[in-house]
Amino acid sequence: MKTNKISPDDPRLTAYALNEMEPQERAEFQQLIEDDPEARAAIDSIRMTAQALGAALESESAPAVHRQRPELPTRGKILRFPQLYYMVSGLAAACFALFFVYWQNQQPEPRPRHYVAVPAPRHEPVKSAEKEEPAKEQFVFVARPASVGPGQVSGPIGPDASATMNTAPAGPTNEIPVVAALPTPLEQTPTGPTGEAPVVASLPPPPEQPASPALTLPALNKTTPMDAVANSSAPVRRLDANVGSVVLDPFKVEASENSTLKDNLATGGVSRSWGVVSHLPPSLTERAIGPVDPVVVNGLSAVRYSEPRARLFGGIGYVGDDLRRNLPPSEFNTESYSQVEENPFLTVAHNPLSTFSIDVDTASYANVRRFLAARQRPPRDAVRIEEMVNYFPYHYAAPLPGGAPFAASMEVANAPWAPAHRLVRIGLKGREVSDAARPTANLVFLIDVSGSMDEPNKLPLVKQSLQMLVGKLRPDDRVAIVVYAGASGVALPSTRAAERSTILAAIDELRASGSTNGGAGIQLAYEIAKANFVPGGVNRVILATDGDFNVGTTSEGELIRLVQAKARSGVFLTVLGVGTGNFKDAMLAKLADKGNGNYAYLDTVEEARKALVAQAGGTLVTVAKDVKIQVEFNPARVQSYRLLGYEKRMQRAEDFNNDRVDAGEIGAGHTVTALYEIVPVEGSESGAGSVDPLKYQATKEAGTRVASISDELLTLKIRYKEPTADVSSKVEFPLRDSDRRFEEASTDFKFTAAVAAFGMILRDSPNRGDATLGNVISWARAGLEDDAGGYRSEFVELVRLAGETAP
Amino acid sequence: MEAGDVNTDHKDHECNAFVQAAVERHQAPLLRYATRLLHGDTDRARDVVQDTFVRLMGQPPSEVDGHLVEWLFTVCRNRTLDVLRKESRMRTFTEGQAERLTASEPRPGSALERDETQSALLGLIDHLPANQQEVIRLKFQNGFSYKEISRITSLSMGNVGFLIHTAVARLRKEMAAQSK
Repeated sequence: MKTNKISPDDPRLTAYALNEMEPQERAEFQQLIEDDPEARAAIDSIRMTAQALGAALESESAPAVHRQRPELPTRGKILRFPQLYYMVSGLAAACFALFFVYWQNQQPEPRPRHYVAVPAPRHEPVKSAEKEEPAKEQFVFVARPASVGPGQVSGPIGPDASATMNTAPAGPTNEIPVVAALPTPLEQTPTGPTGEAPVVASLPPPPEQPASPALTLPALNKTTPMDAVANSSAPVRRLDANVGSVVLDPFKVEASENSTLKDNLATGGVSRSWGVVSHLPPSLTERAIGPVDPVVVNGLSAVRYSEPRARLFGGIGYVGDDLRRNLPPSEFNTESYSQVEENPFLTVAHNPLSTFSIDVDTASYANVRRFLAARQRPPRDAVRIEEMVNYFPYHYAAPLPGGAPFAASMEVANAPWAPAHRLVRIGLKGREVSDAARPTANLVFLIDVSGSMDEPNKLPLVKQSLQMLVGKLRPDDRVAIVVYAGASGVALPSTRAAERSTILAAIDELRASGSTNGGAGIQLAYEIAKANFVPGGVNRVILATDGDFNVGTTSEGELIRLVQAKARSGVFLTVLGVGTGNFKDAMLAKLADKGNGNYAYLDTVEEARKALVAQAGGTLVTVAKDVKIQVEFNPARVQSYRLLGYEKRMQRAEDFNNDRVDAGEIGAGHTVTALYEIVPVEGSESGAGSVDPLKYQATKEAGTRVASISDELLTLKIRYKEPTADVSSKVEFPLRDSDRRFEEASTDFKFTAAVAAFGMILRDSPNRGDATLGNVISWARAGLEDDAGGYRSEFVELVRLAGETAP
Repeated sequence: MEAGDVNTDHKDHECNAFVQAAVERHQAPLLRYATRLLHGDTDRARDVVQDTFVRLMGQPPSEVDGHLVEWLFTVCRNRTLDVLRKESRMRTFTEGQAERLTASEPRPGSALERDETQSALLGLIDHLPANQQEVIRLKFQNGFSYKEISRITSLSMGNVGFLIHTAVARLRKEMAAQSK
C-alpha cells in the first residue's frame, strides 16, 4: 500500500529538517515519511545544506562596527542638500499658505461640509406662536447633505442669497443644510454670488436676555426654559467637521412663518428654525479650532437639561466623518452586518424548550445611535434587539454573597404592542465587584493603526478611550500596547500602571499608517498577555479597530480559531469597534463571541466613558462564563412563544447540558435581559404556523403531566461556569403568571418593552403589532423617572430622531 | 547618554550594564542585518542600530528579557523600514552592490578551500530575492526560530516556512550544480 508521497515542494520537509515543528505535528510527519525514502533523503540533504549555510553566513563579515569620526564630512555633505531642500520647500509652503489664506478671505468658504452660517440673531419681535424670548444663541449645525446633494447645498441660500436677503424664505420644504457661525475672519457679509454655500456671519454679542430658545419641536407645544441654555452665553465657534469635532444635527424645529431666526438671518431663506443641543467634549474639539465653549441650545423642551443630560447629548452627535460618507449614501460604504432572521413564534407543543446563550454586547445600540444621529435609518441587520435592551442598566436584585455569581428575576405583564399577548422579562444581574476588590489586571491593548484608522472618530477616539481606562487602573495592574498595521509591534511592553505617564505617553504617540495585518498583531498581543499572566486576575486583550482586516495573510477562520484557543487559556478578549463606512460589525462581534469577551461600539467619547470607565468593572471582570439559558414552557398555559432577539445566540436543546459548547459571559455588575412574547392558551391564534399531527408518536397536545404545576407559565434554567472552571452549575426558577397588566408593571419593565418595540420598528418586524414611535415614547416615559446616567432620556431622543428619518 | 524612565541610581546602573552587554553581543549582527536591509548603506545602518540601542535603554531589562535579540531585530527592522519609507528610495538590489558587500573585509584564518565554497555559497545567497534572503539570514545567520522570524518580519509562519523551504531548495540545487 503506497501512501501518498510527500512532494519535494512541501515546506514541511524543511520545517521538519530544521526542527521547527511542534511535537504533535512532528510525530505525525514522522509517520508520514516512514514509507517515503525520497522524503527522508530530501530531509538529509536539507540538513546538510543548512549546515553549510550556517557556516558560510557565520563567516560573512559584518561591516566595521567602530564609528570613525572622519565620516563626519560625508554626513555633512549628505545633510547639506536636504537642509537646503527643506528650507526652500518650507518657504514655498509658507508662501502658499499666506496666499491661500488671503484667497480664502476673498471668497465665501467653499466648505465641502456645506456650512452655512447663521448670523447672530438681531432680535426682531416675533408674532408667532413662539414665546417672546428671542433666539439669542448662535446655532451651530452641521451639514446633512444626505437630503441635499452637494450641488444643492446652496438651495435657498446660495445663489439666492443676495436676492433673498431680508426677503421671504424659500419654500418650507427646503432644509437648511448646515448652519454654522464662524469666527471673525469671515465676518463680512455672506454673499453667495458663486452659488456656493455662503459662510456667514458675525458672532453674536452675549445675549442680554436669559437664553431660552424660541424653537420647539413639532411634537411639543410648549417651550420651557432650559437650564443648560443659560450656560451658553459664549459666542459660538465654528465646529470644523473636518477635524472631527463632535457636531450635532439640527433637529428640525418648526416651520413658523415669522420665525425670529428667519428674520435674523442675513442669508435669508430660512424657513425653519433650528435647535441643536451640543456639548462638545473639549478634547475632541480643541484640536479643531482651539478651545470651544460649549454651546447648548435646546429646542427639545420635554427633557430637563441638567448638565449630565447635556453632556449626554454629545452622544447624539457624531463625528463629522459621516457627513462625507453620507453624500451619495453608501457609495463608499463597505460596512458589513451579518443578516439576522428574526425568531418566529414557535408552538410549545413542538418546541417546548427554548435555549440560547446570554449576551452582554451593547454595540448595536451605539451603532444605531450613530446612524440616527446622522439622520439615517440603520440597516436592519445592524439592529439587534437584545443588544439594545441590554445597553441600559436595570435594577434587578443583586445576588446574595456566597451563592451563584448572579441573580435571576422575572416579570410578566401584557405586551404593550399586542395586549392579548403576555411579555415575560427575564433578568440576570451579575455580582458587583468594586474597583478596589477587582483582581489585578493584566491588559494588552491591541490597536489597529492602519491607514483606515486615521480619522477623527477612530484612532483619536480610541486613544482617548484607552487613556480614560488607564485612569481607572490600580498601580499593580499592567498595561502593554501592541499595534498592528503593515508591521506589528510592541508600542509599549507590559508596564505597571503605576507608571501612568509612560503609558499615557505611549498611547499618545500612536499614529495611523499602512495597511492592516491583524493576524500577526493579535498573536503578539496574546503572547504578551500570557507572558504577564496573573493567575486569578483579569487577563485581557482589548482590541480597538474598525474591523477592517483587509490585508494580510490571516483568514478570518484562523483568527477566530486563535482567539478561541487563547480564550481557553484564560486570556479573554474585549472588542471596541469604531468608525463608519468600513466598519465590520459582523467580524468584530464574532471575534468577541469566540474570545469569551464583550463587544462595544464607541461612537463617541461618552460611550467610551460608559464602557471603559463607568462600567469598567463589567468590561474587565467576568463573574460567570458560558452562561446559557433554557426555558421550558408549560403547554397548559402557553400556546406559543417568541424570543425577542438573540437570533445569533440560539442553541440546540442538547447544547444546554453540554459543557463543551461555548456561551456568553457576564461581567461584574452587568445585567442581562431577555424577553419572550407569549401567546397564552386562551388566545385565539398562536401566531405560529400549524403542524400536522404526528403519525408515529403520541401527539404532544396532551396536557401537563402533573396537575400541581399546571399553573406555572414556564421554568427558567440557567447554566453557568465560574470564570476559571470547566464544569457548569445549574439553577432553576419557575414562573407563575399574575395577570398583571402593562400599566401595573415596573418602570424597568415598561422601559425594556419600549426599547424592544423600538428595535422591532427599526427592523420593520412583522411582529411589532401596534408599536409606533409615539407609543414607544409613551411607554418609555415611565422609565424616565429613574435615569441614572441619563441613558434613558437619550433613548427617547433617539426615538424622536427616528421619527424624522424616512423609514 | 542615560535615557529612559529610571527611578533610582541603582536601576540606572543595572540598565546601563545590561545595555552595554547587549551592545557588545549584538551590535555586529544587527549592523550586518541593517546594512543588508538598507541596500548596503553602512552609514545609515549605523544610525539605525544606534537608534535601536537607544530605544533599548528606554526599556527596563525585565521587559525584554528572554526575547532580547528578537526585540532588537524587530525594532531595528522597523526603523529601517521607516528610513526607507521616508526616503522613498527602494532601489532594487543590484548585482554590483552584492559584490561590494561580500567582498568587504578579509576573513582571517580560513582555509582556502572552505573560503572558496563559502564565498560561492554566499554569492548564491546574494542572488536570492530580497525577502528570501532576509529570512534565510535571520534563520541561519542569526539563529531565530520560525516563530521569531514571523514576529520580526510580520509574515505569517506559513509564509516564513514556505520562503525558507523554497530558498533552501534552490540553494541546494545550485550548490549541486556548481560542484559538478
